[in-house]
Amino acid sequence: APALVRARSRSAFTWRMTNAYGPGSPFYVQGPGSPTDFCKKVEEMSGGRLKIQHFAAGELIPALEGFDAVAKGMVEMNAANAYFWAGKVPAAQYFTTVPFGMNTQGMNAWLYHGDGLKLWHELYAPLGLIAFPMGNTGVQMTGWFRKPINSVADLNGLKMRIPGLAGKVYASLGVAVRLLPGGEIFPALERGVIDAAEFVGPFQDRRLGLHRAAKFYYTTGWHEPTNVTELLINKKAWDSLPKDLQAIVQAAAQACNNESLAWCEAVNADALADLVANHGVRAAPLPPDVVARLKEVTADTLEAGAKADPATRKVHDAFMAFRKKHESWAAVSEKTFLFL
Amino acid sequence: MSVVLKSLERAVLALGWIARACVLVLVLLVACNVLLRYVFSWSPVGLQELEWHLISPIALLGMAYAVHHRADVRVDFLHERMSRRAQALVDLLGAMLTLGVGALIAWLSWPYVMQSYAMGEGSPDPGGLPYRYGLKAFLVLGFAALALQGLLDAVRTVMRLAQERAPA
Amino acid sequence: MSLNEWLAIGMIAGFLALMMIGVPVAIALAVSGFAAGYMGFGSMLFALLPARLYGVVTNYTMMAIPLFVFMGVMLEKSRVAEDMLDTIGRAMGGLNGGMGIAIILVGVLMGASTGIVGATVVTVAMLTLPTLLRRGYAPTVACGTICASGTLGQIIPPSLVLILLSEIVGESVGTLFAAAFLPGLMLATVYVIYLLLLGWRRPHLAPALPAEERERIDRRTLGRDLLRTVVPPLLLVVAVLGSIVGGIAAPTEAASMGALGSVLIALWARRLNATLLRETLHGTLTITAMVFFILLCAQPFALAFRGLGGEAMVHSLFEAVPGGEMGALLFLMALLFVLGFFLEWIEISYIALPMFLPVFQAYGTDMVWLATLVAMNLQMSFLTPPFGWALFFLKGVAPPGVTTRHIYLGALPFVGLQIVALGLLFAFPQVATWLPKAIGW
Ligand code: NA
Ligand code: NA
Repeated sequence: APALVRARSRSAFTWRMTNAYGPGSPFYVQGPGSPTDFCKKVEEMSGGRLKIQHFAAGELIPALEGFDAVAKGMVEMNAANAYFWAGKVPAAQYFTTVPFGMNTQGMNAWLYHGDGLKLWHELYAPLGLIAFPMGNTGVQMTGWFRKPINSVADLNGLKMRIPGLAGKVYASLGVAVRLLPGGEIFPALERGVIDAAEFVGPFQDRRLGLHRAAKFYYTTGWHEPTNVTELLINKKAWDSLPKDLQAIVQAAAQACNNESLAWCEAVNADALADLVANHGVRAAPLPPDVVARLKEVTADTLEAGAKADPATRKVHDAFMAFRKKHESWAAVSEKTFLFL
Repeated sequence: MSVVLKSLERAVLALGWIARACVLVLVLLVACNVLLRYVFSWSPVGLQELEWHLISPIALLGMAYAVHHRADVRVDFLHERMSRRAQALVDLLGAMLTLGVGALIAWLSWPYVMQSYAMGEGSPDPGGLPYRYGLKAFLVLGFAALALQGLLDAVRTVMRLAQERAPA
Repeated sequence: MSLNEWLAIGMIAGFLALMMIGVPVAIALAVSGFAAGYMGFGSMLFALLPARLYGVVTNYTMMAIPLFVFMGVMLEKSRVAEDMLDTIGRAMGGLNGGMGIAIILVGVLMGASTGIVGATVVTVAMLTLPTLLRRGYAPTVACGTICASGTLGQIIPPSLVLILLSEIVGESVGTLFAAAFLPGLMLATVYVIYLLLLGWRRPHLAPALPAEERERIDRRTLGRDLLRTVVPPLLLVVAVLGSIVGGIAAPTEAASMGALGSVLIALWARRLNATLLRETLHGTLTITAMVFFILLCAQPFALAFRGLGGEAMVHSLFEAVPGGEMGALLFLMALLFVLGFFLEWIEISYIALPMFLPVFQAYGTDMVWLATLVAMNLQMSFLTPPFGWALFFLKGVAPPGVTTRHIYLGALPFVGLQIVALGLLFAFPQVATWLPKAIGW
């Protein structure tokens, strides 16, 4: 990581970006379409007029402190997922993913050409923040289970590592939800302290070694049908950028949003094939009746959240309206194509 | 003078009492959470969060308490060879610096706590604990108590120095 | 060199000076960090400080510290530990260095149940230091053995260092746990051999029981005492380990099984009462707070080191190294060792490793082996005077007669032993790479 350099207020800008993920993580920190790739793209596109120094989690501040630091203008940018801020701004989670919400195509359509991005900016404006999508893992996986799930009843009493909204949905079906830091997922799953764990997708999960701890890999993550990386920017700093640099930041973020997804699609395909062929992993979707039950409970959970907070209500309704429209289009386009 | 000192000291010790109670709660809570999950497959998110929420009061309120009981770490191999007066002067320096560091960090932490308060910050996990600014407030409280303990030590050391100087 | 680089060096010097004259270590760290940071940077840098402090006191894994300390204090205050060690001492009979060896074994067992250096060192020290001194061990040997034993937990899985390294080098946590297992046992074996040699050549430093006391030992009574005093605390460690292996508790929360178990043992020994509980809570709080006080005050120092471009200096050093892969490896080892004099291990792993990783990736170095080497090296930095976490934590719990000098001198031979073990691991990478392959992790 580079040395911290004082921001200079000449025509050239030196900014700092913190990241919610630790040093070395592919996709989240390094590699094609990652936040460090974004910093490099911006520097090259601007001919060095906007330099962004990147700090992985723990290098400057701990993982989840980026939001406050950017809001206060202590750093100009942060890379993370908006749902990490659900404790501060409940509606923010709609800008990462919504359980049974939209896939990546739908999400991007909503963000860029529905009202998504506009609502996101509206939500953050009072906090002195602005955000853009800067990456996407694509659809994530339901997770790793030590025993097969054949019915809704199998969920009852199951101990699972799963954070956030999805955790609440599982909990109402009798799952004992365990919060665990990333490093303890493997030992806990391996020893059976937990019976199941959700992480990301084939490539990242294999990197954590989860296939050595559990063999039943439930695919197609109903709880995270897409997952947007958030580029968070201090609004004052943003406004101080000349128009051309603003355009470069936006273009680089869009490029990364595209490239990171393409990269994930490629490496996940390889990783899943390897897991199944060489590591005895059984990959399958959850049984339809389990999915149906999860879907019901999710709708209730989302509705309850929207009831509790007017800002969430507004974003929720806009998201759902767009989803309805997009679903009928997707039904005759992508969905039909995939089953040809 | 000593009445004021005594009551300030009691404040530090009272915070230490809270921290001690938190230690006991932590031991029982973590053990109960493990057993409840293992035996009854029951593990509420709020109780899990409470586990690591308790580290804050223990660590932060405990600092002043540890300094009060001289349980903090000092390297002593030059110190023990110094004259009593030089030792007292080093102790005075240490106490003044403790006061300064405590006050500075408490002051730096104040806006951090207020930022959380302004957003009404709670847990990002459904079923988690609310009032996260309360948790963050231990930063201010703990370092302010540390500053207070530094002040108490400084005053006591000055009094000791003055006594030693005064003719017997 | 730039002004900021001079400031970074001045900061380190200032810290060492303040620490040496006897200002509390935590305060010396904070003051030098603040002074250099404000001079070099103004106020911007330290606006980030509260976020770092909050990160320290809300770190889930750190929860193991108060829990293990509670277990240790409870066993100490209820004098269960003392009874146990005395019995072990008697059982070791005429073997010089025997109790030291027993302490290494306790360290291996404790290490297998926790991965936090503060927790193991203070627990082992509280349990064993008073008894060792009473039994005539030289304070230096006692302190060195305890520090070495207490730091074994870093390399024997589960371990916080290994978890962080797995993230950085991109290997799975399980692979690194398996890789570090044999090197950890190797290190413990090296310690045991050293203590045997020491007991043989310098018996007065690590004496066995005096002959007349040995003569009074009746085998039957000894057997009964062993059962009565050694089995319960041993069961405790087995309970902690067992709850991890048996899938009852995750590594961090397993510490609570030990804490709860220590209460039950005190109860069983009929020594549990309100006074004991009060004293245990007092001891747990002061020791836990002592550890956190240092960790928290290290934050301004670490922040300033980064802000002043400390790691850029480190980086430019690295670019000047000749000698290909071996040269780079040796330099990395030397560098980690030196950084360990004044930085804490989390900071070292974040500064040194991500920076050098691409170099080793280009050489095709085995990442599992590299991570194990690094873990061994970091563990050595816990023991290296003048700034080793294990040494400070031991000082924090040592009885008044034990000075910093005893601790520093005592640690030195064990630093030498670690260099030997590191050399072995360097020469025979299979020690680390064989087990993960053999069990398919
Ligand atoms: Na360990
Ligand atoms: Na060191």
